Amino acid sequence: MVPLTEMLYRLHQNSFYFFAIILFIIGFHTMLTHSNLIKKIIGMNIMDTAVFLFFVATGYVRGGRAPVLVPGEERAFINPLPSALILTGIVVAVSVTAYALSLIIKLYQHYGTVDAEEIMRIRRGEEQ
Amino acid sequence: MIVKHAPALLVAIPLVAAYLLPLFARRLKHLVVPAALFALLLCSAGSLSLLFQVMHTGLIIYHFGNWPPPVGIEFVVDRLAVFTVLTLSLVGFVVLVYSIDDLRHELREDVRGWYYTLFLTLLASLYGMAMTNDIFNLFVFIEISAIASCGLISIKEDRACIEAAFKYLLLSALGSGCILLAIALLYMVTGHLNMTYLAQAMLQAAELYPYNLLASLALLVVGLGIKAALFPLHVWLPDAHAAAPSPSSAVLSGLVIKIYAVAMIRLLFQVYPAAFLARTPVAEIILWLSTLAILLGSIFAMVQEDLKRMLAYSSVAQIGYVFLGVALGSENALTGGILHIFNHAVMKALLFLAAGAFIYATGTRKIRDLSGIGQTMPAAGVAFAIGALSMVGIPLTNGFVSKWYLALGALDAGRPFFTAIVLVSSLLNGIYFLPILINAFFRKPSGNAAAPRALPTPMTAAIVVLAAAVIVFGFFPGRMAGIVVLAVHRLLGVWQ
Amino acid sequence: MDRVTDFLPVWIVAFPLVMTFVILAVQQYSEKLRNVLSVAAAAVSFLSVAALYPFIAGGEIIQLQLFSLLPNLSVSFRVDILSFSLALLASFVWLLVTVYSLEYMRHEHGCNRYYPVLIATLAGCIGIFLAGDFFTLFIFFELMSLISYVLVVHEETMEALRAGYKYLIMTIIGGLALFFGIVITFELGGSVSLNGPLLIREPSPLALLAFIAYLIGFGMKAGMFPLHVWLPDAHPVAPSPASALLSGVMLKTGAYGLLRVVFHVFGGKMLLEAGWTTLLAALAIITILLGSAVALTQEDLKRRLAYSSIGQMGYILLGMTVINEKALLGDVFHIFSHAFMKSTLFLAAGAIILKTGKRKIKALSGVGRQMPFTLFAFSLAAISMMGIPPLSGFLSKWALSLGALDAGKPYYVVVLLISSLLNGLYYLPIIISVFFGRAEEEGHGPARINEAPPKMLVPVALLALTTFLFGILPWNVPFDLSQMTAKFLIRGGF
Repeated sequence: MVPLTEMLYRLHQNSFYFFAIILFIIGFHTMLTHSNLIKKIIGMNIMDTAVFLFFVATGYVRGGRAPVLVPGEERAFINPLPSALILTGIVVAVSVTAYALSLIIKLYQHYGTVDAEEIMRIRRGEEQ
Repeated sequence: MIVKHAPALLVAIPLVAAYLLPLFARRLKHLVVPAALFALLLCSAGSLSLLFQVMHTGLIIYHFGNWPPPVGIEFVVDRLAVFTVLTLSLVGFVVLVYSIDDLRHELREDVRGWYYTLFLTLLASLYGMAMTNDIFNLFVFIEISAIASCGLISIKEDRACIEAAFKYLLLSALGSGCILLAIALLYMVTGHLNMTYLAQAMLQAAELYPYNLLASLALLVVGLGIKAALFPLHVWLPDAHAAAPSPSSAVLSGLVIKIYAVAMIRLLFQVYPAAFLARTPVAEIILWLSTLAILLGSIFAMVQEDLKRMLAYSSVAQIGYVFLGVALGSENALTGGILHIFNHAVMKALLFLAAGAFIYATGTRKIRDLSGIGQTMPAAGVAFAIGALSMVGIPLTNGFVSKWYLALGALDAGRPFFTAIVLVSSLLNGIYFLPILINAFFRKPSGNAAAPRALPTPMTAAIVVLAAAVIVFGFFPGRMAGIVVLAVHRLLGVWQ
Repeated sequence: MDRVTDFLPVWIVAFPLVMTFVILAVQQYSEKLRNVLSVAAAAVSFLSVAALYPFIAGGEIIQLQLFSLLPNLSVSFRVDILSFSLALLASFVWLLVTVYSLEYMRHEHGCNRYYPVLIATLAGCIGIFLAGDFFTLFIFFELMSLISYVLVVHEETMEALRAGYKYLIMTIIGGLALFFGIVITFELGGSVSLNGPLLIREPSPLALLAFIAYLIGFGMKAGMFPLHVWLPDAHPVAPSPASALLSGVMLKTGAYGLLRVVFHVFGGKMLLEAGWTTLLAALAIITILLGSAVALTQEDLKRRLAYSSIGQMGYILLGMTVINEKALLGDVFHIFSHAFMKSTLFLAAGAIILKTGKRKIKALSGVGRQMPFTLFAFSLAAISMMGIPPLSGFLSKWALSLGALDAGKPYYVVVLLISSLLNGLYYLPIIISVFFGRAEEEGHGPARINEAPPKMLVPVALLALTTFLFGILPWNVPFDLSQMTAKFLIRGGF
């Protein structure tokens, strides 16, 4: 068995990953279980953010700084690549969110509600 | 000179064209369609030139901006990529020709220009997915294609389409999240995003961090599985493919889901170390999931009343073939699976376009309202029949060829049970396609089917070309199979 | 490869296929031209097959590979004595049936569909017989099966469509089973060519699976128990000339396929040693008894004939499990004689139904006095079915029995005798009632029923004559061909 202090230390060391996974699960759960479409989108965003956090954390160096080179100064830099990539990821996530929200507006115009179950009920009622 | 840049141009041309088209739509409306066609024509030429180059040299490596990896982004055009690109160009072009007239009755006039924008964007991303050798780049293309495909569905703006698009978007975002997390995990343990470097680094990483790799593998299979509609992650597909305008359905069912399968093939065979995969049950899981997909997809298809929904469920079954080939992993099985990407693209595009023609001409999409349609619309009817027979796997159609390889591959892998599965599924295909044909050709025409609207020539031409392709690649599958066999050798070479 | 003869098989198969499209094209201008062309197509096919005789009789095997689909998988043709015999038989019966159709189909709708399909089916059927490998055979098998669906549902009644659907599903099951067998053969043997050597030489579970798959695939077509269910529905609903072809010729493609499987895939020796022939023999015996027994209970004339076909196909299946020369002689000769007999019966039944409008056996009493020639031909074929000498049906049963005795299987002979007895029980009452029974409701029936028109009568009479002549003539072409085939197959068949 690993002693408790050791475990807490490790957790602290990997806290970014730990919280990223927790966030991911929260987002995933929200997305799948909530019937409110807006909440689904919020869940999606939480999930995306979790992934971004995770990704950026892989490039993080404790005590490191943004890699701006200043002549004569020797410091630890964080790995800039994940951050750069995540910029792309954020752009994608924003556009997906915008698109999803516009779809929700359309759905609201058609059904007068943003609740998935309500929409299902309306459709079933119409079929009969 | 320009030929050297073909891989980049293949992505750039449709992308640039896509964003020029809305400008044309403003001022030069009559130029929108010709411009889109011209862009795709260029792409087709580009893919052909890639084919000749690859046949000559075996492999093209293209560095963007001359930055070599691991820093720069790299496109690797091997035979698998060329094969995929050719499929995309052929089917994409035919569908585009078809869409010109079909959209007149499916879409409002002011959004018609945007349709081509989405269509070309989608194709650009698919080309990119087929060729890229960079895993993050892959993710970007996946996202572009996800949004573009949702757009192609929701552009129709009726309720069913919006709902289907939303469902698709949500699940697709879920898949993207999984894929990005998997990429993060891989980057974390290897420090590379280029697939070639990744593969080398993973040999070590597999010993040091097996759990990271395992988690990333699981996430990738789920993420790409959602997008490729691998059973039971297919729930979005029937709604989405049935509701969309017919040309969109043809592209989504025929091309889009397959390209994710290609990405999966690349990752499984060229990135993850074989020894590592052999320790995981991933092949077995995919094998059984694809078996379920093949059987249940067909069974669901049987009970559908809506023609396009039936075709959509049939796609769920057919993507199962591709994954079956991948999971069996023997040379013939893999050849069959990959070949089916092309063959199914042609057949399913044909079936969706023919179904679209029926809907265009009669205004109905219920299967039972289409009695006698084969007599009143002989060209589309016969083409549909050819597609359906190819689905059943009648010899001298291209559907037979992939089944032949798959059946043989299952035997090679020492699992005749899966040969039987392939055959049972053909029977199931017969059970749901043949009544439609009987209905169409041997019952008296009734209702709208008795007096259909005349079909515009480009639509007929598109259908006929695809039907001819089904027959031609059924008679002479040798060339295409030859490319795939070599592609498979490369895949398995890394595997061993 | 450069001899004209080598290309004759391609011509024989391609010609009717091309004619199909020609007929499709001309029929909108002239019905007469359509009919003439149909007969011409059948006649030319028959003559072209017959033209192969000098080469085949000289013991030659004609081979031609047309084009290659995939490595080791090609479309090829091969004519040996077995292929030749069956192709000759098929094209002969086809010619007569086409001539018969001219008159029969005058009263039917949809002739513009019927004739092209008839000729296309001929192409498929002959293609099966002349195929040089199992893949080509499979192609033509599917072609023939799918196209003959159109013949089955020709009437477009609900009953026909239902029977047709059953037929179609069974066809697809059969086709897939065949595909399974072919794939396994390819896996084990590396090729599916009929040119030899034997494709599967070692018994193994996979080989057994292949054997069963072939049994299902070809057995389905041959009406073997328990896959015969489609047959009694599909054959009677088709127009009579089509029934004659379905029962007389197309069933034989299944038997032909099984002969090829026995002698070219596994080899008789290995099958006997592994004991797999027992499986086929058991199914064949059930088929014989079941077909004959159920035929007794049928009231509908054509249904009775259809069940009788099942029983008779059982003989052929049984014959090939006794792997010796005499039994094979009987086997192949029975393919001939059954084709002649059953086509006669169906064509005569067609004439009766056309003239009287009645299909129930009970309603037919006394018809023989009004249509003496037709019914005489019918009776001749029926008596031949029972195996009474000197008709051809007797000859085949005799040879089969001798073969069974030689192989030490006397109970096969018992089965044959029981079945002959049953045949007698269901054919004799028909003969007696049509000639000696009293015609019912003569007073207020339609005007007096005449003899069938000559164009129908001639094919019927010719076929009836063959059953008679090929039982007694010393110059007996089918018998000689059967003898040569039996020798050839026992020698190894390559």
